[in-house]
Order: sequence, then structure tokens, then C-alpha cells
Amino acid sequence: MKLAFELNGAPVETEAEPDALLVDVIRGLGLTGTKEGCGVGVCGLCTVLVDDLPVSSCLYLAACARGSQVWTAEGLAREEPELVQAFVEHEGMQCGICTPGQVMAAAALVRGCPGASEAEIRDHQAGNLCRCTGYQTIVESVRACLASR
Amino acid sequence: MPAADVSFSVPTSLEEALAELAEEDAIALGGGTSVGLLLKNGLIEPQKIVWLAKVPDLRGVAVDDDGGLRIGAAVTLRELAGSSPVRTHAPALADAAGTVGNPRVRAVATLGGALAHADPRQDVPPVLLALDAEVRIAAPSGERIVPLAEFYTAFMETALAEGELVTQVVVPAADNRRTHYVRFTPGSEDDYPTVGVAISIARGADGRISRAVLALGGVGPTPLLVPQARELVGRSAPDPGEISAVAAAAEAAARPSDDQRGSARYKKAMARVWTERALHACLGEG
Amino acid sequence: MSRLDAWAKASGEARYVADMVLPGMLHVALVRSAVQHGRVRRVDSEQARAVEGVVGVFTADDVNRNTYGRSVRDIPILAGEKVRFVGERVAVVVAESRRAAEAAAALVEVEYDDLPAVTSAEEAIAQGAPLVHDAPWEYAGAAISQEDGHNLQSRVTEGSLTEVEAALGGAEHVVDRTYSTSSGHQGYLEPQACVASVEDGRVRLWVTNKSPYRLRTQLADCLGLDPASIEIEPVLLGGDFGGKGSPMDAPLCVELSRLVGRPVKLVLRYVEDLTATNPRHPARIHVRVGCDREGRLTGMALRALLNGGAYGGFKPLADVNLHGIEDCAMAYRVPALFVESTIAYTNTVPRGHMRSPGAPQAIFAVESALDELAAEAGLDPVDLRRRNLPRTGEPSSHGTTWLEARGLETLEAAVKHARTEQPEVPPGWRHGEGVAVYVRGLPGPPVTSVRLVPAPEGRVRVEVPIPETGTGSHTMVRNRLAAELGIDPEQVEVVQVSTEELPIDPGVGGSRVTVGMSEALGRAAEAWRRGGGDEPVAVELRPGDSAASAPVVCYCAQVAQVAVDPVTGQVKVLEVLSSVDVGDIINPAAHQMQIDGGAVMGYGFACLEDLFEEDGQFWAANLGEFKIPSTNDLPRLRTVLVEGGQGVTSANVKPVGELANVPTAAAIANAVAAATGCRIRDLPITSEKVFWAIEEESAR
Ligand SMILES: Cc1cc2nc3c(=O)[nH]c(=O)nc-3n(C[C@H](O)[C@H](O)[C@H](O)COP(=O)(O)OP(=O)(O)OC[C@H]3O[C@@H](n4cnc5c(N)ncnc54)[C@H](O)[C@@H]3O)c2cc1C
Repeated sequence: MKLAFELNGAPVETEAEPDALLVDVIRGLGLTGTKEGCGVGVCGLCTVLVDDLPVSSCLYLAACARGSQVWTAEGLAREEPELVQAFVEHEGMQCGICTPGQVMAAAALVRGCPGASEAEIRDHQAGNLCRCTGYQTIVESVRACLASR
Repeated sequence: MPAADVSFSVPTSLEEALAELAEEDAIALGGGTSVGLLLKNGLIEPQKIVWLAKVPDLRGVAVDDDGGLRIGAAVTLRELAGSSPVRTHAPALADAAGTVGNPRVRAVATLGGALAHADPRQDVPPVLLALDAEVRIAAPSGERIVPLAEFYTAFMETALAEGELVTQVVVPAADNRRTHYVRFTPGSEDDYPTVGVAISIARGADGRISRAVLALGGVGPTPLLVPQARELVGRSAPDPGEISAVAAAAEAAARPSDDQRGSARYKKAMARVWTERALHACLGEG
Repeated sequence: MSRLDAWAKASGEARYVADMVLPGMLHVALVRSAVQHGRVRRVDSEQARAVEGVVGVFTADDVNRNTYGRSVRDIPILAGEKVRFVGERVAVVVAESRRAAEAAAALVEVEYDDLPAVTSAEEAIAQGAPLVHDAPWEYAGAAISQEDGHNLQSRVTEGSLTEVEAALGGAEHVVDRTYSTSSGHQGYLEPQACVASVEDGRVRLWVTNKSPYRLRTQLADCLGLDPASIEIEPVLLGGDFGGKGSPMDAPLCVELSRLVGRPVKLVLRYVEDLTATNPRHPARIHVRVGCDREGRLTGMALRALLNGGAYGGFKPLADVNLHGIEDCAMAYRVPALFVESTIAYTNTVPRGHMRSPGAPQAIFAVESALDELAAEAGLDPVDLRRRNLPRTGEPSSHGTTWLEARGLETLEAAVKHARTEQPEVPPGWRHGEGVAVYVRGLPGPPVTSVRLVPAPEGRVRVEVPIPETGTGSHTMVRNRLAAELGIDPEQVEVVQVSTEELPIDPGVGGSRVTVGMSEALGRAAEAWRRGGGDEPVAVELRPGDSAASAPVVCYCAQVAQVAVDPVTGQVKVLEVLSSVDVGDIINPAAHQMQIDGGAVMGYGFACLEDLFEEDGQFWAANLGEFKIPSTNDLPRLRTVLVEGGQGVTSANVKPVGELANVPTAAAIANAVAAATGCRIRDLPITSEKVFWAIEEESAR
């Protein structure tokens, strides 16, 4: 079926199976910053924004995104570079495989709860796993994202 | 993922949705957090996926004059957690919705999906049971209302017949009702609860308990009601012995199985402990 | 200056193996064994072949029959007559899309004749147990002989049991305990992946592997190819922790590309990573340890029995063992020491290395046993350790006298800081503090190679042989070289080059990268300065080139603070304080993340992580069930750096990557025991285990 939506601010139209997952459609368009990790909605590697809400694109049917605004890390890096920069400055990463998802989760928090408390930051970011850092620098990065607004 | 011939439809009215769901091998899609998994793993192979998000009748939270709530089945858990009428009239429900999974799950998962999914470990069903919620169910042939207490029939099974939809959840008003929910996650906090305990206590004008409902999650094939909570009705300040008796009844009612989150024995013991603790909290002592 | 790859990673620009696309590339999906042990009677691929887009379905008959491995070569590319674990590769589908490949793989029908299976190490080494391999000693690189017994991957012993018996016979206090640890997983978040292209006899590979030069040899060895015909391309790795050192599916992908004449790509689903790659060995460890009246250790015997799974080929050491077991008592003076480590073949997933292989298991046992011994002797557990840590100039239990022994300072710093600012304990909960100590030695003499190449505008390009696994190794290279040359780090460009470009490197692991690279960069910089920086400079450190590294060790002492709800058994780890013996630190932020990430991994091992293995199957086969720590679960982390240590190379460094994850489990177990009087000897320490232990204790 034909699928049209806005990806990182630009309209896209593509062919997709009706049961295709959003992660596969986005990656198929060459935007590989959205990764697939656990495949069951837990790890957060595949986090993208659909109409400003964070979703696990590994579970989200692409068809549900029809007509929506979808944002990935690549688009955010262009439009809201301060969020990406916060992770760069605070070294909120090591291997980097979870980082685009962490950034997108932070972007969701900036939109949905810009005044998040320390506990809210931790609870929100708990949906995005990281095996490398021990999370201290990730939490700092998210804090910096909020402060950038 | 099997490359089945499947279609995707986005009805914009309840009639349309019901008509689509009446077709062969059609499945309702709420947020897809469980349907997505089932599809991916080839555990379901529907012919048609009917997405409910754009049906206006399934959206929104309405408040009756008396404070009763009517919540549309396509309301997301995120919306539920953030809804001010829900926060006012059923704060425990908002809290429970706000703890499900992670922000990405809550952003899309719906109340209808959360009920129909029927995994006994879920958080929202016990709270709604404690709140005496009723489920409005629609079919092309008409509508019926089922108390949530009769909705769960067996492990991962509900009273929904083929083609039926949950349209709304009704939370009746009650004066002076306090509801308390605990999800005991002794391992990772970001997990299904080992035991969930929901309790709601309403009091009459005289301060005496007029209704007490206790529901347990995670300790049986379905969420369970513990009828012995009724013993508290008529008391104004139940004594520790009476509270312990209800907790013991919760332990006896629990029929858990062994799994990663604990052995059956442990879960039963925890059903008692957390019932006792939740009762104390709900009775305002702690 | 921040990490050199930070922007690329955070913006999603960075490409990993799964992101690779080659023209004409096909996709691979595996058909895995559904039985623990069986003969493959029939593989029916008719339906699978009929799926649109399928190019081929292959079995062992189609591919090279040689076996492969990192040391012992016992792993078949595809199972032939026999399957040996649930999840073993039996057949494989190649198709135009991943979706078609996976759909077809689900339609391949395999019939088995079940064979009796062994799923635990205890069963495997018992008399008359079914054999996982008929003659495992015949595999190339086998570490055992027929006389050693059946179902053995490896047995290593050190020291004399007779001496230990004598020492324990004369000891004032002895404890004799058994500890066990569960099946865990490295938990890297990037699934294993491989892209292979074979064209005109030339093999090119992009693969989630951290040891490209060794991989080339392993592939050549298995497939009978000239190593020069194989090129391993540079890649970025999405986490490793020991899980990405083996050839894994690379030999298969090379074979498939050869068979279909097009490039192929395999990306595992995470469930495959958890259940069918090379997770951590579960262990049962028996410790007997004794001390004299003053609390001085007199002898210790440690016997470890580990479940190695169906193949040993995922372990890199020649003895096919885990060095962390042998090094179990290295932190202390133990006059009589006996260690035996046995790894058994079983009909379960093959096990591999994980961050400080063997040490988390062994140190959990030893450091728990020391607390139990202290209790027996009526000593404070910190005091017992104080009395047994070697001072500079004294030999350790393994006979080596180190350049310096800073265990005592490291321990004192840990305890002092832990007690200055104690965390708050929820009302009604019991508080406990626990201590554990670990020491890590240096890897052998550095072996690696680098090249410096002049680049435009006075910049220097450093070509390195190792992939960036996430530790910040490339950033470390940039900073080190800039410091050596006295230039701005901005002037240094670091690139990993393919195996064509440099001669040698053993890969990332064994805490050797910073040390080896520092040495190589020091030499390269010297040559560069001498040559005036106009010509490329190549440095190659071959085995035997450098003197044996100075006997430098690095201590880590941790103090865990826990709160235990005595009514439910729930354990909250309030704080883990790590005290670390360091030399100079090249990149403080990256160094700190090794400590923080280590402590969090140690906490996960202690309290959460368990694949729930039962009869060779895993019940926690996804990340919703196999819980690794999230930001909600974190204890407060604190670090004390015990500075001024003497490291190695001109950079004066000590390794840090495999340190802070090791003592955590024992520190937590000791804290739980201090809080409750109950000793949990089986990891993970779940609330349920604590609950029943408290019940039992109060029933007494
Ligand atoms: C990572 C993760 C973590 C989770 N953690 C938790 C947790 O901690 N606690 C918890 O309680 N749950 C948890 N869940 C489960 C989650 O609650 C359910 O997946 C979710 O509530 C289902 O809602 P949905 O709208 O996404 O349902 P869908 O996946 O869309 O549908 C689920 C089922 O309900 C049916 N359905 C949907 N809407 C209707 C309707 N209106 N009428 C009739 N049938 C309908 C569908 O046909 C399907 O059978 C978790 C899930 C994930 C993926």
C-alpha cells in the first residue's frame, strides 16, 4: 500500500506492507539512525517521535503513521541540534547504539514535560537501556536538554 | 514475519469499525503494543487490521455530575495518566496507567487494549476492578454492559465475542472513596509486578465503611477479586486482626504460578503482605 | 575535548554493521534446532523454497564441513548429522528481503531423532552421562585429552591440594561453602550482524567482531582460504563486553555469499543473541578457606565447575578456560592455594567470555567466603582483608611480587569514604554494608600495530587495527598521540583500517587496548619526531618484541550499602562506592564511565540478571524478561580514585575496563548478610531468596 507521512519535516511517500513496522520503513528510506535492538519495545533503541510522542518503532505499525509527523535523530540533529549537542557535551554515550534512541526520548521529555524533576527524568529515561555508561552521563545529558529550553 | 495478505483500515465511526470487524479474521488495533508483537512473531495472521484511533466515539473522558467517569476505549494510557478528571475522581487509576511499561508504551497503548489484552500481570485491570468499573461492549447487533468482574473468563481470555469492541469503561462515582494500588516489583522497577494489589474503600456519611473491594493482579490466570474484603463493611476503623484476616484471604485466594518473578509460594506470601500494607495505607494509617 | 565520534553517534549518522547495504545484497535467516540433542533425520525445505523472494535454502551438505573456533575448533558452520543445543544452526534461508527470509525459515521443517541430553555441568561429568561430542579431544586446539574424562572442554589446576589440606588441617577457623551463579548475558544492545561478499575469490566482511586480525586467521583456517584473500573491513561496534570476539556467523555468511554469488547480510534478532550466541558461563564454586588465630589466611582450595555449553570454540585462551577463576585469590597472600576450574560440555548454548571472564563468578565466591570466615573468626570483615592484603615488596598468593601493591590503600579509601556520607535507609528497612576487593593483573606484553600518515594542513592521520567498541579507544588514541606529539587533538585524525592495511593485532579485550596502544603510539611518535613528520611511520609490536610487562596490578575495592525490607525480602542497593587504584588517566570521562558502567553491570549480575535456564532452554529470552538495570534501578554511584599509582608505558596507565564489574556482587551479598544475618550464596540475590532465608533464620 501507499504510505505518505512527514519524515523529519519533509513529505515522503513510499510503498509499505500494511503490517510493516515503522522501524523497517524508516530504515528502508536510508535513515539508519533508528536502530532495532530488543525488538519487544523494551530497550528504546528504536525510539522515534510520532506527532511529538515517543513510540517504539519496532512495534508501531507504519500504517498508523499515515499523515503524521515522524522525527528521528537525523532530523533532530538538523532542527534541534542543541539536544544532540547536549549528549555530545556531557558524553552521554559510549558505543552509541542506544544514543539516537536516548536523544529521541530526551526530545519527547522536552516536549511533554519540560520541567521534569530529577525523579521524572530517571523514570522517563528508564525506558531506554544502556549497557555501557552506567547512565550518569546520560542523565546529565537529558538534564542539559531540558535546560536548553 | 509471514507475508500474509493483510489490509489496514482506519474507520472514522463506530458503525464503520464494527462493520469492518465483522469481517473474516479482522482484528482491532488499539496502540498495537501487543498486536505489534504478535504480528511480528507470526502468532496472529489477521486478514484485516482495524485501527480504532480515529473513531471519535471511542475517544475522550467524560465526567458525570456525580463524579462518575466514562472513559473511551481508545484513550491512551498516557492520556489517562494525565487526565485531570481521572486524577480528581480516580487518582489510583491515573497512577496505575502512568506506571505501565515505559513512556513509549503509554503514549500509544489504549484502555481498550489494556483490558482486552487480558494478561493477568497487567496494572490497570485490578485498579478498575477495585473501582467497580463496567465495560461497555458494542457489536453490530447492539450494545451490552458487563461488569469488569465478569469480563475476564480465563487466562488471556475475555467475555468479548468475535467482532465485539470495548467502547467505553464506566467508573461509577462513590462518595468518600479512597483507592490505593501497589505494584510490587522487587527486581527491576521496570517490570511487570510480581503482585499487584488494588483496594478501594468507600465510607458513608457516618464514616463507616460502605464498600470495600480488593483486587489482585499477577497471582492467578485472571485478575482476582477477594470477596472477604466485604467483611470490613460497617466498620469505621477496622482493627489489625480484621485487616490481617482480609490479608490472609488474599493469600488464600491467590492462585499464582511459578515464573521469573517469583515462585507461587512467594507470590502468595506477598499477596498477603501487600494487601495488609495497602489496607493500612488506604485506611489512612500509613 | 569530547569523544571524537560523539556527534555522529548522537545524530544517528554513525553506521553499524546492520546499517550496511551493498548492491545486490541478499538477506539471511536461520533455522535453529528445536531440540537439545538429536540426530537430524530430515530437513524439508520445499515450502520455504516456494516463498516469493527466496534464493536458496541450505544445510550442512552445502557448506564447508570443517569446524571453527577461537582456540579449540569444535563449532560446525551448520549442524550436520547432529544438533547439540536448542538454538543451534541447522539450516539457512537466503532471500531478497529479510522478511521473506524469515517467513521462509519458519516454514522449514526439521525432523529429529531425540538423543539423551545433559543440560548441567554436574550431569555432564557424572559417570555414564550421554556424550555431547564423541571424541572432543580430537578437535584441533582441544585442551583436554581422552584420559581427562568425558564431556570436558577444559580443566585447569593450580597449586597443590595436599599443601592446602595440610594448611587447612592446622587452621584455627575454616569455612567450607558452595556458591553458584546463573546464566547471564553480555547484554550488548546491538544484535550480532555480518555482511559478507565473496567475489572472484576475494572475501570482504563487515562483522560485529572486535578482533579482525584473529578473525581473518580463524576464517582462513576453517574455510581453507589464503588469509590474504580475506579482508575484514572497519566497523563500529554497538557494545561488546566479551560477546563479540568470536567468528559467530561469519564463516556461514562467507559460505553463503560464495554459494549465491551475491553479498549477504545476517542480522540476528535479539532473542537469538540471548539464547543462541555465547552468553556467560553459569558456575558452581566450592571454596574452603582457613585462617589462623590472628585472621591470617593459611590456605584456600577453590573448585569451580562451569557449564560451557555445546561448544568450546567461543573461548579464546589456549586452555579453553576463564582466567578469572585461576586468578581468584590474587588479591591476597595465601600461603597454600589450590584452584581447579572445570568446564563441561553440555547440550546447552555454548558459552563465551564476558567482561573479566570468570572473575565475577569466582570473586563472588571468594569474597563471600572471606566474610563468612571473618564471621567464624569473630573478626570484622574489613579487618580480615587488611591482614591479608600484600604490601609492596611482598609476593601475592600466586608468587609474583608486583611493582607496587596498593590493595590496602584502596580498601582504606573505600571504607573511609563510604562511611562519611551514608545513604538514607527507608523506615523499617534494615541497613547493611558490605565490602569486596578485586585485583587485576596486566595483560601480556603488547602486540599491535599502528601507522601515522601525514595529512593535509599539518594534520596527522593515525591508522589503527581495532574497532571502536564504545570504550572510547579511538578518542584515547587521539588524545595520547596529541600529547606525545605536543599538538592539538584536533590535528589528529583516527581511522580504523581494514586488515589489508596493518599487519597485526589481537583485538579488543583483556584490558589490553589502552596499554598496547599507548606503547605503540609512544614508539610511533618518537619515530615521527625523528623523521620530522613528513613520512608515514609504521610501528609493529610482535610477540616477544617488548620485554614482559612490568608486574603491575590494579586494585578495586567496593563498598555496597543495601537496605532490606525484612517482611518481603526486597533488597534495595542504595549505593556502590568504587575505590580504584589508578596511574595517570588519559580521558577522565571515559575512565569514569568504565567504572560506573562496570558497577552497574556488577549490580545487574548481583541482583537482576538471569536467563532462567531450565533443561537447556531459557525462559527469559527477551529484554522484557531478562532484566538489565535501567535508570530507575540505579544505586547511587560514588568513586574514589586512589591516585599516584605506577602504571605502564610512558602514559603511566593502568587498565580499568574489567574492574568495577567484578567485586560488586560479593559486596552486595556481604551487605545483605550484614543487614539480615542471612547469606545468599546463589546469584542473583532476589528478594525471594532473601525472604525465605529470613524465614528460615527466624524459624530456628
Ligand atoms: C515493553 C512493554 C512493557 C509493558 N509493561 C507493562 C506493565 O508494566 N504493566 C502492564 O499492565 N502492561 C504492560 N505492558 C502491556 C501493555 O499494557 C499492553 O500491551 C497494552 O495495554 C495493550 O494496549 P494496546 O492499545 O497497545 O493494545 P493492542 O496491542 O492494540 O491490542 C491488544 C488486544 O486488545 C484488542 N483490542 C484493542 N482495543 C480493543 C477494543 N477497544 N475492544 C476490543 N478489543 C480491543 C486487540 O485486538 C488485541 O487483541 C507492556 C507492554 C510492552 C510492549
